[in-house]
Amino acid sequence: MIDIQYFLILSAVLFSIGVIGVLVRRNAIVIFMCIELMLNSVNLSLITFSSFFSNYYGQIFVFFIMTVAAAEAAVGLAIIISIYRNKESINVDEINILKW
Amino acid sequence: MDKFFIFVLIFPLLGFIINLLFGKRIKSEKFIGIFSSAVVLIPFLIAVYFLIYLFSLEPQSRFITLNLLSWIAAGFFNIQFSFLIDPLSLCMVLVVTGVGFLIHWYSIGYMHNDSMFSRFFAYMNLFILSMLILVLADNFLLLFLGWEGVGLCSYLLIGFWYEKKFTGDAAKKAFIVNRIGDFGFMIAMFLIFLNFGTLNISQFLAAIPVSFEFNSGLLVAVSLLLFLGATGKSAQIPLFVWLPDAMAGPTPVSALIHAATMVTAGVYLIARCSLLYVYSPITTNIVLIIGIFTALIAAVIAAKQNDIKKILAYSTISQLGFMFVALGTFTYWLAIFHLITHAFFKALLFLGSGSVIHAMSDEQDIRNMGALKDKMKITYYTFLIGALAISGIPPLAGFWSKDEILFKTFLNSGLIFYIVLLGIAFLTAFYMFRLVTLTFYGEPRYAANIHPHESPKSMTIPLLILCGLSVIGGFIGLPHITHLPNFLERFLSVVFDKTETALMMYSQVNKPEVSLEIILLILSVVVALISITYSYKKFSAVKKFKASRGFAKIVENKFYVDEIYDRIIVNPLYFISDKLLWKIFDIKIIDGFINGLADFIKKSGEDWRRIQSGIVQDYALITVSGIIIIIIYLIFF
Amino acid sequence: MQNLILYSLSNFIPETILVVTIIVCIIADLIIRKKSFAVTFVAIVGLVLSFVFVVKQWGLSMSIFSGMLAIDNYAVFFKLLFIISTLFILLFVETSKEMKTASHKNEHVYLILSLTTGAYLMASSVNLIMMYISLEMVSLTSYILAGYLKKDKRSTEAAIKYIIYGAASSGIMLYGMTLIYGYTATMNINEIFLYLSKNPITDTPVLLASVIMISAGFGYKISSVPFHFWTPDVYEGAPIPITAFLAVTSSAAGFSVLVRFFLVGFANTEIITAVKWQEVIIVFSIASMIIGNFVAVWQTSLKRLLAYSSIAQSGYILLGLAVVNSAGLFAVILYLSAYLFMNLGAFYVTILIHNKLGTDNMDEMDGLGYRSPFIGVTMAVFMFSLAGIPATVGFIGKFYIFSALINTNSPNLTWLAVVGLLNSVVSLFFYVKVLKHMFLNKPEKPLPELDYGYANILITLLLAVPTILFGLYFTPLLRLAENSIKIFGLN
Repeated sequence: MIDIQYFLILSAVLFSIGVIGVLVRRNAIVIFMCIELMLNSVNLSLITFSSFFSNYYGQIFVFFIMTVAAAEAAVGLAIIISIYRNKESINVDEINILKW
Repeated sequence: MDKFFIFVLIFPLLGFIINLLFGKRIKSEKFIGIFSSAVVLIPFLIAVYFLIYLFSLEPQSRFITLNLLSWIAAGFFNIQFSFLIDPLSLCMVLVVTGVGFLIHWYSIGYMHNDSMFSRFFAYMNLFILSMLILVLADNFLLLFLGWEGVGLCSYLLIGFWYEKKFTGDAAKKAFIVNRIGDFGFMIAMFLIFLNFGTLNISQFLAAIPVSFEFNSGLLVAVSLLLFLGATGKSAQIPLFVWLPDAMAGPTPVSALIHAATMVTAGVYLIARCSLLYVYSPITTNIVLIIGIFTALIAAVIAAKQNDIKKILAYSTISQLGFMFVALGTFTYWLAIFHLITHAFFKALLFLGSGSVIHAMSDEQDIRNMGALKDKMKITYYTFLIGALAISGIPPLAGFWSKDEILFKTFLNSGLIFYIVLLGIAFLTAFYMFRLVTLTFYGEPRYAANIHPHESPKSMTIPLLILCGLSVIGGFIGLPHITHLPNFLERFLSVVFDKTETALMMYSQVNKPEVSLEIILLILSVVVALISITYSYKKFSAVKKFKASRGFAKIVENKFYVDEIYDRIIVNPLYFISDKLLWKIFDIKIIDGFINGLADFIKKSGEDWRRIQSGIVQDYALITVSGIIIIIIYLIFF
Repeated sequence: MQNLILYSLSNFIPETILVVTIIVCIIADLIIRKKSFAVTFVAIVGLVLSFVFVVKQWGLSMSIFSGMLAIDNYAVFFKLLFIISTLFILLFVETSKEMKTASHKNEHVYLILSLTTGAYLMASSVNLIMMYISLEMVSLTSYILAGYLKKDKRSTEAAIKYIIYGAASSGIMLYGMTLIYGYTATMNINEIFLYLSKNPITDTPVLLASVIMISAGFGYKISSVPFHFWTPDVYEGAPIPITAFLAVTSSAAGFSVLVRFFLVGFANTEIITAVKWQEVIIVFSIASMIIGNFVAVWQTSLKRLLAYSSIAQSGYILLGLAVVNSAGLFAVILYLSAYLFMNLGAFYVTILIHNKLGTDNMDEMDGLGYRSPFIGVTMAVFMFSLAGIPATVGFIGKFYIFSALINTNSPNLTWLAVVGLLNSVVSLFFYVKVLKHMFLNKPEKPLPELDYGYANILITLLLAVPTILFGLYFTPLLRLAENSIKIFGLN
């Protein structure tokens, strides 16, 4: 059996990649992918803990996170479409009429 | 059943709200007038019902507490919306609503065709409401609510004709002078809460005998501060200056302020807290002295005034002085007795003067009147009876109450005070008949284009009713020598019995001697009659008025009290606030500090808002770094 | 098992009613296919029904769906708050001109109801899973609502910023939840508390990190600094009724779950010393008050001003949480009830102004107090209440917050009260600025008077009267708050 730490470290790395992606990528769709990455890293560590404690909380949570992530992606994409219609661009650093 | 009493408050409130909100839309003066009077009449009827109800109870159980709801509950600071119905407060309610109703009725005619008819009645209803809250309140905070409400309404009503500058000034004066009294009241309230842990009046009074000696410092302080409040509302030295100016308002307002409501608040407050005053005899002596001085000075001033309403105003101050004398000789029921009879005849006199002013097309100077006797018969006869009542002619109302005060003063405070009071009684009859003679007798001195006429029925009927009350009102409190029951004293005795017990502990109550009382009675009647005759003789033949000189001039100018206050209080205050507080303290220090602070806020705000760059990734970056910084800080520090 | 589910369902009626109402609304919308009040009416009926059943739950104390949701007075209080605010928002939408420009006619009704359902769940959730799901339910609907005006650049911009920021925050929160799951092997906050109080606390860094990451998720809902960045932009871009909804319901829901999370899961002196969440809350609170108030001074858009004001108000409410005793929680509940009336009121007056002027820029509002005295006076009431001037309900809220801080007799918390008070003074600066524009600034040329219909006036009065009434007679609020917090068993 592989030690639990490896899974957790992998999860932390994935999460960091996700966060950094959100911070640096300009394309809104890529940002959403990075957010998916964050959520999936969470899923990974939840499964890890779940099997480590051998209780089912973590596994249930994973299912819910996957569902919510799908819903979030659907809403997100819809909003991205409407912003594209308005501005012809999905670069988040061009979206800044609202400020200060 | 008891809760039913709350309608006494609800109706005037309803009247106020409806008049205020819909008054302008309701075009009919008749409706507004009748409606506004009805909302005062109904509480009167309820109060009458409760009077009968109280009589059906045992004397000891004539205390009904109405606990409506909890107003403020913060820890042990618990204030209830609770009202106390006992003989004392019920007497006050009857006077306030009864006389108040007649004044409302009278106003329908008097305010006819005024452009702000509905607003006038809205304020009047609010006035009645505040006064009812004041007399019914079971705790000091609620009482203070009514107290302030009365002050506010007097401000609104005195300045009712706000187009004229002097009405505004008079309103402001009334308000500011009253605020000085309120200040005393508030400090007293804080002291009570601090030391007794309650603002409930009954609890506070009950705690006094348990834990305090006579004349203990705290009690003297509290009683003096409350008395300061009372001098403000009841126009005693040194705070009496607002009342004569309050004449600027419409005459029914003067009647309401002077007769039934506002000015009686101070007397009521002290009577309500009578136990406190028995436990601080020092204050009571001060009350006596202030009362007697006020009565004297006001009577002297009244003798030289020429404005019909000013004379009555000073007469009110003087009569209030009498009430304070009664309070100062521990005869609390007597103060209430005089308050009631005074409410009757003073309302009568004021409304009568209003009728005269109405007839004379707003002329108020009695030097320009004369010979109105035949032009307005009802006004004349009712006014005459009012004047006789205040002068103390038997068997009219004023005779019984005033004479009892004179007698009790003689018993409790000695000959000198008695002589002074007798002198004041002489002056009272003198100035009243100077007023009557100059107004109704002699030759007409008014301009030819004025055609005096009797006032409409809606004004004369209240006059007649008040006249009847002034005649019979005194019979509720007949002195012992008549061997007839004294209703009022017996009715109120439950309220004051603790006071009486406490009084026994340190003062010998002198037994009245019947022969002495009769002699004094006759003496005061004789004095009044002499005064009336002298006054009539002196003024009925007057044709020309000379400018006063010497002492008379000083009196005519009201002893220059207003001017003295201006010099020693108002002007220095202006000076300090203008030159020192405003120009230096305010502009340089406060403004400097505030503006500096504001600049700082603006500057830092300007910098920080740049963080909100509009780009969502910047936001996320700051948030994430914020989280990381906090985590690192918490882990390592 | 089956019995348990039935039992749970029988205590889940208010939520069920809302869900059924949503479905009915959707069907009705499909049938009617044009703008109609009928859909809103159905929603109102559903809300009122739900209200009845929520009231019936008053006094119960139980947990349903195997420890997922709690039914208690605390939850009932918040549900009532959400219902009242939702009812008002539905009326706001009906009277707002801005919302009429949307290409969808009735969709907002069931979106709003979905958000309310999510908020219900937030208020009663006692399990991290439930907390996450309900939070997302609120978030997802609010993303859509913020971008409701599809053709409006500002509205869509608000939506995209909101969703990116929100999704990232909830991702961070999820990671925090994982950590705490890894630490305690459970997701029920009662069990978390048991675990933490029974076992010696080791590995504090993990616990610290997890608590702070979780508070990122909640903090973004209540727009507390440093998770507030979305607030001004979204508030400004979204249609005003939606902004009002976010400001009241969404942030109250955030508070309901935040308070439960900390006061049930971590309210124990040893845990507080180890996890230091009290200090974290204090830092958030001070930062929120300062940033909110100081930056609000600069705003010219009324909506943006109210956004910063909301940030600052969150700071005040967090002060109540930071006390960690019943007096503080009491003050939080009281403040939230005050907040409901005054904030909705301020937003509604903004809607009315926007209806006539087509803008919420304060420079355009010069002399508005004379063009419509009604607007001017009611705005003054709400602004004074937000600033915490006595005789308004806002004062009562602030008063209890500060007295809770001072009554702890701990010097640090007393200092905190001083900071809060100074901030209130600063806040007066910009609240009064709104009134200055309305009353003191003269417009360049005389403008016509503005007339408002009875419906508008009635809705405004429904908010203005309680704002004053509860400021004078607040005992009912005190009783409500007192009974709402009993389940926490704090001292």
